[in-house]
Amino acid sequence: MDARTRMVIEIDALHGLLPALDYYRVLQVDQDCAPDAVGDAFRTESRRLHPDRLAALRDAKAQGQANDVYRLVNEAYRCLKDPEKRARYDQLLTVGTLRMTDDANAAAQADKKADDPEHAATDPNAEKFWKMALRDWKNKSYKSCVTNIKFAINFEGENEVFKEWLVKAEKALEDYEATLENNPYKLRIV
Amino acid sequence: MGIAVGIDLGTSNSVVALVRDGTAEVLQDGAGLGVHPSVVAFGYGRSVVVGARAREQLSYAPDSTVTSAKRLMGRRYNSEEAERMRRNVAWGIAAGPHGDARVRVQGRVLAVPEVSAHILAHMKSVAEAATGDVVDGAVITVPAYFNDQQRQATRDAARIAGLECLRIINEPTAAALAYGFGQGRRQHVAVYDLGGGTFDISILRLDDDLFEVISTSGDTFLGGDDFDVTIADHLAGILQQETGVDVSENLGARIRLRIAAEAAKRALSDADAVDVRVPSVLKDSGGESIHLSTRVDRNMVRQLVTPLIQRTFVVCDDALSQASLTAAQVDAVLLVGGMTRFPLVREAVAHYFGKRPFAHLNPDEVVALGAAIQANSLTSFTEAAGAVLLDVTPQTLGVRTVGGFVEPLVPRNSPIPTQSSKTFHTAHDNQTEVRISVFQGESRMTTDNELLGEFVLEGLEPAPRGVVRIEVTFAIDADGIVHVTAEDSATRVAQSLRIEASSKLSHEEVEQMRFDELGF
Repeated sequence: MDARTRMVIEIDALHGLLPALDYYRVLQVDQDCAPDAVGDAFRTESRRLHPDRLAALRDAKAQGQANDVYRLVNEAYRCLKDPEKRARYDQLLTVGTLRMTDDANAAAQADKKADDPEHAATDPNAEKFWKMALRDWKNKSYKSCVTNIKFAINFEGENEVFKEWLVKAEKALEDYEATLENNPYKLRIV
Repeated sequence: MGIAVGIDLGTSNSVVALVRDGTAEVLQDGAGLGVHPSVVAFGYGRSVVVGARAREQLSYAPDSTVTSAKRLMGRRYNSEEAERMRRNVAWGIAAGPHGDARVRVQGRVLAVPEVSAHILAHMKSVAEAATGDVVDGAVITVPAYFNDQQRQATRDAARIAGLECLRIINEPTAAALAYGFGQGRRQHVAVYDLGGGTFDISILRLDDDLFEVISTSGDTFLGGDDFDVTIADHLAGILQQETGVDVSENLGARIRLRIAAEAAKRALSDADAVDVRVPSVLKDSGGESIHLSTRVDRNMVRQLVTPLIQRTFVVCDDALSQASLTAAQVDAVLLVGGMTRFPLVREAVAHYFGKRPFAHLNPDEVVALGAAIQANSLTSFTEAAGAVLLDVTPQTLGVRTVGGFVEPLVPRNSPIPTQSSKTFHTAHDNQTEVRISVFQGESRMTTDNELLGEFVLEGLEPAPRGVVRIEVTFAIDADGIVHVTAEDSATRVAQSLRIEASSKLSHEEVEQMRFDELGF
């Protein structure tokens, strides 16, 4: 039996099982596997199951099944490669839900935002200054960082992340200026 | 059954290639030409000339010679791109029945896929003459950043030309395939593709026979044409300085300057300076012919085009950040597209990535070769043919929500084929229709994104609001084309969808345009 015939049989069997498979079983990895293992498994399964490998057979049924199978491989990968989505998905699994839901995706998105100051702004004007502030922070331009955070707060006064960072940036600026005080060769830029 | 080829359907040039005895090669016409200008010249009646012969007509019959038609593929009549084209070409641009931009030439109005179909048919005939076989299938390449409508227009063009489109693949991906196929490479590759009309960058991870696109980004408004226009504007400035004549309102003169600019650009690939002579650019008010004679050197051109080259690196930054890689982590850089022959572009790319680009590929041919390899692996039964391409969707797919915001459904750089489902419900009592507007693009506002179409769920059961729930599935196939289906969440009965506001040709229109029906 050649490889393609084997693949057609394999996919036919797998297709019947799809509704019962969770993402981990689709990618054939353990639920506690390391993040890297997800990518490796995706590549292994892609080699094995990619629908293009059947294209030359011109068998519409096998092609359709392979597409269904492979779309699920992609869906599983998209979910499990993302730490926040994977965590939310693990919660769904405990109540027997095998596929990611809109709500869980939205929740994962919110988790990500909470962890990442990059997405803290909701007002477009605040966002502009907030992004500049974060860039200033990276470049250690604390003075301009403080100014930009204050501008952002002007547009979005309720934002807790902004307030937290303002304290942090003001402290950094103070420390930085203190080092200048101690530097006998300091230059004043006017 | 015929054979299947790979076709690079480019903005400026097109190439056809085939895998023979395990090796991909470019097929040449009787004159030994492998790279064919994507130019279609329309004569009286139904005579149509394509390629190098059509290009010769451009300087004396610009109003019946269609160039860069690819820029209009899948575009709306009122789009920015159609507006730009209108200023730069001598033929007309008309509105089609779907609001699509169409080509008006020799008193006829053609859908843009019909024009492209003439180029594809020409490639088909070149391949048939070179091999003696019937060619009936093709893998056709498109810029990675092409959206759903541009891809569908390309598929339609193939159908009109009498070719079965086996697959649409992205140009940078095809180039990576030509570079890595059968080489057992394991590395990160960046493909820098600066063509006639578009710029694409794709970052791939090659793992032997697996070609995985990690991220892709692009600018469909930036290409070699823009370099030509910039240089031509400079020539027009010189002409005005020397003679006081303004050519900006004279389209014929501008086209002649653009042809000269393109020739100068090509010459500067080898020479440091070049003399530009354009006899009778136009006639002055007294009927005297005005000639242009000047010298252009590489430094001058460097100043002119540096802003354009810099724009490509903004796009590169984006692709690298999407892939979570730095320029230094890229193992190999591939150059694709005629513009990358330009030494200034090569220098800048080498500087950006901190390494010399891979030099053993012909940037004009590599895309067609990759397409031929993919055509072979989709049609051949040999075990060794199996390269697996894992591509991504270049732009976020989303739907309109309240206030004109976009709710993303499939984020950009998601592996394809893929799908995403969303449940819609009625907002009013006894509502029998729900309208879903589908967009592609990265903005949070619908106005800045491309409208793919409106899908109307119709014939809903009258019921109190919120009771009727319809699950809509948005699938993106391996060609990057979007398919929308819907079913009632409770009964699992398929829900009928009406498509509105799409600029795509209908199935019937495409069938009527087919050349084999028309006897071409």
